[in-house]
Amino acid sequence: MIKKKKIAEASIPTASMADIAFLLLLFFLVSTVIDVDTGIGLTLPEYVPPEEQEQVKVDPDRMAAVLINENGDVLIDGQFVAVHQIKQNLKPRITSKIDLPMNRKLIVSLKTDRKTVYNVYINALDQIKLAFFEVRDEYSNSRFGDKYDKLIPEQQKEVRDAVPIIISLAEPEVVKS
Amino acid sequence: MKFEKKRAGTKQEIPTASMPDIVFMLLLFFMVTTTLREVDVLVDFKLPEAEAIEKIENKRLIHYIWIGNDKRIQINDSIVRLEEVRPIMYSKSQALPNVIVSLRVDQNADMGLVTDIQQELRKAYCLRINYSANIKI
Repeated sequence: MIKKKKIAEASIPTASMADIAFLLLLFFLVSTVIDVDTGIGLTLPEYVPPEEQEQVKVDPDRMAAVLINENGDVLIDGQFVAVHQIKQNLKPRITSKIDLPMNRKLIVSLKTDRKTVYNVYINALDQIKLAFFEVRDEYSNSRFGDKYDKLIPEQQKEVRDAVPIIISLAEPEVVKS
Repeated sequence: MKFEKKRAGTKQEIPTASMPDIVFMLLLFFMVTTTLREVDVLVDFKLPEAEAIEKIENKRLIHYIWIGNDKRIQINDSIVRLEEVRPIMYSKSQALPNVIVSLRVDQNADMGLVTDIQQELRKAYCLRINYSANIKI
């Protein structure tokens, strides 16, 4: 009598698959860094060699010259102010130029000494940016009734045109050795 | 009085058949979002703090330059001299025209060095920069 052989079921055990997947998942969870890079953005002007540089006269009314010396003292148009007062100082001047055409908006010129500490420079730049941002928010609030980031792109463009951020980094002086 | 336990007649089991699928889906998400390319930072630095902070929207456009508190400059994985900044960054801006250079500078660094690097970046046509800073609370 021939006995029929029982065929073993050919299957891969999948019970541990979930465990393996969990292990992999854990590895990626741990190794992932979801930190967003934050910082103060700025666009540098294109480099022009000194002999080709042109001096453009700018109406002194348009300019706000911010000077920082090596001790961290700040001068705005010859007037001594503290670093955290820069914002209050600039805001009315930016606001007063909202209705003027593009070529008469306020230019903030930032100049530092070579020995100025970086931290003071960033604080000053932060203050200047904040001044622009707050004026933008106030303008968009009065015009569209909402904050700048909540506007639709077309409205944002309008606000950007009304309050452009013009920060000019002064051309460094040639160091005499 | 006799107490009787109330029991539902149905099976009390959570179906686990689809668990591997769910886990795999999560796994896939993390695999896609992970950027494993981490650079060893060789310089010591402490970022300044600021309020008017913007997020950099596209991480793939960023190149980093570190400046430590000992005035050493690091690009990629190596310490470089100031004169080497321009050729390196020029090749980068050629490969990726709208590159954003993130300057991770120690808060006690001199502006002189930062200005020098900015001048080199201007010559290398890397015009979009970002001063890396932490959010002031």
